[in-house]
Amino acid sequence: MIGIFRSTILTKIAMALSGLIWIGFSIAHLSGHFLLFAGQEAYNAYGQGLKDLGPLLWLGRIIFIISFLLHSFSGILLLSRNKEARPVQYKAKKPIVSTPQSRMMALTGILLFTFMVYHLAHFTWGVVHAEYSHLTYTLSDGREVHDVYTMVIGSYQNVFVCLAYVLFMLGFGIHLSHAIASVVQTLGFNHPMYNSLVKKVANGLSTIIILGYISIPASVMLGVLKLTGGH
Amino acid sequence: MNLTLHIWRQENTTAEGRFSTYRVEEISPDMSFLEMLDVLNERLINKGEVPVEFEHDCREGICGTCSLMINGVPHGPEKGTTTCQLHMRKFKDGDEITIEPWRAKAFPVLKDLVVDRSAFDRIIQKGGYISANTGNAPDGNAIPIPKPDSDWAFEAAACIGCGACVAACKNASASLFVAAKVTHLGLLPQGQPERYLRVTAMVEQMDQEGFGSCTNTYDCEGACPKQISVRNIARMNRDYLKAKIMGN
Repeated sequence: MIGIFRSTILTKIAMALSGLIWIGFSIAHLSGHFLLFAGQEAYNAYGQGLKDLGPLLWLGRIIFIISFLLHSFSGILLLSRNKEARPVQYKAKKPIVSTPQSRMMALTGILLFTFMVYHLAHFTWGVVHAEYSHLTYTLSDGREVHDVYTMVIGSYQNVFVCLAYVLFMLGFGIHLSHAIASVVQTLGFNHPMYNSLVKKVANGLSTIIILGYISIPASVMLGVLKLTGGH
Repeated sequence: MNLTLHIWRQENTTAEGRFSTYRVEEISPDMSFLEMLDVLNERLINKGEVPVEFEHDCREGICGTCSLMINGVPHGPEKGTTTCQLHMRKFKDGDEITIEPWRAKAFPVLKDLVVDRSAFDRIIQKGGYISANTGNAPDGNAIPIPKPDSDWAFEAAACIGCGACVAACKNASASLFVAAKVTHLGLLPQGQPERYLRVTAMVEQMDQEGFGSCTNTYDCEGACPKQISVRNIARMNRDYLKAKIMGN
């Protein structure tokens, strides 16, 4: 296992695979939260449903935590190696065909880490913007559950919180737009027959994911999603 | 043409380098970039100054010896061209040109614009060859090879080992060079027996030399005077992974 990190190619592959798990997570996470548009009852039932998964939820969490650690560790390892590989910088250096997003992966990665800490502190640990974090809701079957609907919408009614999420998601979009096509290349798939398709899918998928995420705080701001008072 | 050149001067590997500025006058637009540097050096010698050291050999774009970072781009502004084949008509009268050596830990500066590219030789020594004696050149059609494979192998074999890929990469990665060498032999029947041993040995030597890793930014492909595709890097990754899983 340790041997993997002696090879730059294997470290990159570890990075690609763990990143792929996170791309999967971001799609699943977004799909779940789209239930906000289905109303307070559906969304709160979904939140409770996740909690009811018990050990399965923890299995998922462990997979995501390991992927996160692997992705960040590989990233830091490669970054420090890459910095060492050019001890004297050029006076003039121009990008030739590289995109700004491909050169900013470490920066947008750090931004995403900051976002994750903030996001967990906000919605999972309930330590920031805590005014809506501890309300309860009674489902139609009589069960009293955590009112996650009010927590999400109430928080996004604050324009600064809303703006922070939109900006973080734009950073995520920059990271993702390079990441998806990059995974394909790193795992060894590159052929003139399907390269343009990979590019289109990568751009399309990252645009859909980012617009999807932005649509939630934006809908709150535009009044499409609003507090319903609860039970 | 009259030009202002900012050229990196460095006495030897351990000395500290600096930029020196030179004016060159009456340069013909038909001169090659290296001929323009020849003119500068003649003038420096006539004035009793130390000429600027730079590498060159064939001056036909096929040997891979010339290696200059010109205004932040390896081999200068013309795509798919080595420094020796770059002509001064690509510049304008009055231009300022910054000339630097390739910058990488694995390519230490020997003097001025000359770097030591032996790291590439050591990578080749690890597997950039076929060890079986293949005898005389076989009959043209004696070994059937699919046309797309022979074309791809030929494209990869066009690598002249100049190091522009390392120079252009933000991580000073040698992935495109190694991938081209691995692919050119690995696609042909003669290269099959040692295919996986070759990729493992060459990639591991590349890592040992202190080159950076590939982050798929593709400036290497943009800078390559032979326009070798990053498709070769994907193939190298695939072969290397297969070799690791199957134990060479």
